[in-house]
Amino acid sequence: MKRLLVTIVILGAGIAFYAWYSRTSPDASPDSIAGYAFAILGTLFAILAGVLFARRRRLHKKRVGQLHASLQWHMCFAVIALVFLFLHSFGNFNPRTGTYALYGMIALAVSGFVGKMLDRLVPHMIAQEANKALTMEGEDRIESISDKIEAIVEHNSATISGFSPAGQVGQVGKPSRERSLVSLSGGPLSNHFPFEYQNQPLHTPWDLAYISLEATPQELSREAGQYRFIPDKKSELTRPGALLPGAQEHISELREVERAMQREQFYRYIIRYWRRVHIALVIVTLGLTIWHIVYAAELLIPVLLHR
Amino acid sequence: MLRKALPGRADSGVLLHKTSSQIAQELQACIGCNECLLACPALAEPITIDVLNRETFSGPISASVERYARACSQCGACVAPCPVGLHRDAMMMWLKVRLLRSGGEGQ
Repeated sequence: MKRLLVTIVILGAGIAFYAWYSRTSPDASPDSIAGYAFAILGTLFAILAGVLFARRRRLHKKRVGQLHASLQWHMCFAVIALVFLFLHSFGNFNPRTGTYALYGMIALAVSGFVGKMLDRLVPHMIAQEANKALTMEGEDRIESISDKIEAIVEHNSATISGFSPAGQVGQVGKPSRERSLVSLSGGPLSNHFPFEYQNQPLHTPWDLAYISLEATPQELSREAGQYRFIPDKKSELTRPGALLPGAQEHISELREVERAMQREQFYRYIIRYWRRVHIALVIVTLGLTIWHIVYAAELLIPVLLHR
Repeated sequence: MLRKALPGRADSGVLLHKTSSQIAQELQACIGCNECLLACPALAEPITIDVLNRETFSGPISASVERYARACSQCGACVAPCPVGLHRDAMMMWLKVRLLRSGGEGQ
C-alpha cells in the first residue's frame, strides 16, 4: 500500500509538472530543461529498479520477506521510469535513438507485466497437471497404472499359455523333447519302459524308432521369441480387447497422465523463459539507452562548450 | 530420485513434480537453515521454516502458509541457496496440490 501510494504521488507530481510546463513554456521538447529533467529522473528510477533488486538478491544479510518488498519496489520504480521517459519525449516519436530506447523500455515493462501475470496463473496450472500425475496418496500414477497393466498382461499370458486341450495343461513348461514323446495309443509315454535287456532298461523301444524326438515345427515356433498367439477367426478371443480386458482403459489413462506431464513441462518452461526474455530485454534496452545518451551527448557537448 | 523431463527433452533439465515419499525424504533432510525462505521473492510475511515444514506434508494448513503457497511462482530461486541441495519448489508444489485437492488453491 505504501509503495503504491509513493508511486502514485511521484507519477502525479511528474504528470502535473509536464502539464504545467507544456502550457507555460514555448520550448516543450525533449532537449528543453524539463525534457532533460525527465530524462535524468527516468534514468535514475530505471537504474534504481534494476540495481536495487539485483543487489538485494545477491546480498547475504537478508530478512524473510525483504526480497518480496524489494521486488515490489522494482516494479514501482520501473513504472515511474517508463512514465518519466515517456514524458521526456514530449510527444516526439521520430525514428531516432531516443524513440528506439523508449520502445525498448516499453517492451521491458510489458514483459514484466506479462511475466507477473504468468507467475500468478501458470503455477496453478502446474499444480492441476501435477495433481493428475499423482495418486491420492501422492505416489506416481504412471507407476501405479503400469503395475496394473503388467498384472493384466501377466494374467492373460498365463491364460494364453494354458489355452490348450484338457489334460495337457499340466505339461506347459516342460521341455519340448519330453512333450513330443507320445505313445501310439495317444496317451503320455512313461519314462520307465517295461523292456529290459540283460538287466538294462531299454530307453528307446524299437517300435518308437520312427518317431522323432526333435521338437515339432509348431513347438519350435511357439517357444521362439516372436511367437504370437493367433486365435481362430470365429473365436471370442478375436474381439478387440478380449485378450487384455481392462488394459485399454489403463493405457488411455496412462496416455492422459503422460500428456499432463508434458503440459506441466511446458508450463515450467514458460516460467523459466519469461525471466530470460525479461533479462534479454534489459540488455537490449540498456544498449539502446547508452546509444541514445551518446547521441545526445554528441549534440549537447559542443553547444555547452561554445557558450 | 528427481523426475527429469520427458524423453527427448531431458537434456534441457526441467524438473517436474515429486511424489509424496520423495517430499517426505526432502522434509526429513531439511536442516532448517532458512536460506530458501530468505531467497524467496514471493514470501511477504515472516513464516518460520519449522512451521512450513510441519504443514507442507500433512495436517492443517495455516492461513499464512496457504497465502505463501498461493504466491509461490515456482521460479526456483529457493533451490540454489540450499546447502543440502533440496528442492523447496517441489515441496511448495506438493503444498499447492494439497490445497488444490482441498479446494484452497487458486481461490
